[in-house]
Amino acid sequence: MRRSWLIYLRWMRDRCRSTIWWSIGITLVSVVTAAFYPSLTSAAGSELGSNSSSTMSSLLGLGEGIDPSTPVGFLWSFNYSNQLPWLLMALGIALGTASISGDESDGTLEYLLAKPVTRTEVAMARFGGMVTVLLVASVVNLVGVAATMPLFDLTDPVTVTALDGSTSTAAGATVGDLFVGGLSAMAVGLGSGAVAYLVGAATGRRGLAMGVSSGFAVAGYVLYTLSNVTGDFEWVTWLSPWRWFVDDAMMVNGMTVDILWPVALAAVSLGLGWALFLRRDLQS
Amino acid sequence: MTAIEARGLTKRWGSFTAVDSLDLAVAEGECYAFLGRNGAGKSTTARMLLDFIHPSAGSVQVLGGSGRDPGVRARIGYLPGDLNLPRSITASEAISYFGSIGSPPDPPELDDLIERLGMNRDRPFHNLSTGGRRKVGLVLAFMGDPDLLILDEPTSGLDPVLQDTFREILNERKERGATVWLTSHVMSDVEHVADRVGLIDRGRLAQELSMEDLRRQSTGDIQLSFGGPPDASWFDSVPGVSDVTVNGDDLSLHLDGPVTAVLARAAELGAVGIRTHQRELEDIFLETYSRGEDDR
Repeated sequence: MRRSWLIYLRWMRDRCRSTIWWSIGITLVSVVTAAFYPSLTSAAGSELGSNSSSTMSSLLGLGEGIDPSTPVGFLWSFNYSNQLPWLLMALGIALGTASISGDESDGTLEYLLAKPVTRTEVAMARFGGMVTVLLVASVVNLVGVAATMPLFDLTDPVTVTALDGSTSTAAGATVGDLFVGGLSAMAVGLGSGAVAYLVGAATGRRGLAMGVSSGFAVAGYVLYTLSNVTGDFEWVTWLSPWRWFVDDAMMVNGMTVDILWPVALAAVSLGLGWALFLRRDLQS
Repeated sequence: MTAIEARGLTKRWGSFTAVDSLDLAVAEGECYAFLGRNGAGKSTTARMLLDFIHPSAGSVQVLGGSGRDPGVRARIGYLPGDLNLPRSITASEAISYFGSIGSPPDPPELDDLIERLGMNRDRPFHNLSTGGRRKVGLVLAFMGDPDLLILDEPTSGLDPVLQDTFREILNERKERGATVWLTSHVMSDVEHVADRVGLIDRGRLAQELSMEDLRRQSTGDIQLSFGGPPDASWFDSVPGVSDVTVNGDDLSLHLDGPVTAVLARAAELGAVGIRTHQRELEDIFLETYSRGEDDR
């Protein structure tokens, strides 16, 4: 346990600088997007989403009842349903790949395993490191958006006029909304990172781990989006992480049990990756 | 006691056999040089000792246990042929990190090692030269006073002074009872430190000989120069002399035995120059592998 902790700390230290840059980058994207809220809503009003095609709606995560002219609807459709999960997926894949197969390709893993540590200790420490970095980036993003959203009127309630002329009031965004949105986006990143981890731990091949996990993320997105438009292959969309993520729109509709899907995927990837890592030869 | 014991050790990848039915034993406190051409199976064998890869057949025991056992690996100092550490780690950090998960070094002994090898403590590993990285690797391998040292090309990238320092340190460790598994293409290293040599060719142990055997085989060729054309019969009466040939003012002979009588006879005949060539490990290495080439 002590050695696993030391391996974890070293790995985190090696990734300290990149974690800072990733966190700043992700937060900047979120804050800059949030800054467009006043101008976009005043320019387009409630028509922001009404003229969108089904493809566009899918891309923006505009499910039924989601109005992008409201603060939460805007944050969801312009950032939390697309940019943020993509960035966290990219980070998760980079980390999942680096955790075992990346270090194995660099030759650093072999030297570590010449020391009195077990493969189990290394596998657990690296997975823990991946989760921690994703968590840090998500928390920094949460703090960044929460601190700046009052500047962009995102905390103010707005009056929304429906197509039939009726009006209603939508609440401003809260830290709780940001938390749920960020958590679900992080879960998507974790799921993709876990796939990279699994393939990397099972094979020791960095390129394969990155390719398979990126393919999983992109193919899942294309499958979900096109299936929404054409209605074809709907039965396979359950393989796509985007199905539950966009359909549930937890940031707008509240947390659902579907958030456990990527967590379960991560747990299975960790267990399977660990078991295969124990049995195979290291790549030279 | 045996520090390393391989029985029928084999490693195959598909139809390619990297190590083929290797049987060998290295005694505790012995320095065993495992030599061979590139791709002969040296590194594959070392990687099986440390459980990086699993044998396809046969078995290997290290320090009475398996390389899989962290308790066994805690007693091993390892220097890979190409040492890779995290890019930004400094030597000081590496010592502290690997010391904390392995055997913590004794501070005075560590300082002594660092000073003798002239290791830079504070530069990031990726900024070090090849020799600088080798020094870090050697300090990491030697620290903690391991019972077994597995060293792959330990002097590669080191200048001659440091190569000498390395041999000195290694001999000190041997005197303290450490076992050494050494692979090197620098034959002078091997001749200075090894007790026994194993030559591996295409995954098979082609030859094993002790340095004592080698010294016994150290018969030599001698070339003498004279002021005028010598006579091939001049050395007929000298014991141990054979294969005498004359070429211009030079006379070459092969000697099995003490050189004193040849030198006395050469002085008597007014020899003006002498050159000797002893059969060294390098010759045996080349002979073994040229035989191997002929067999192919």
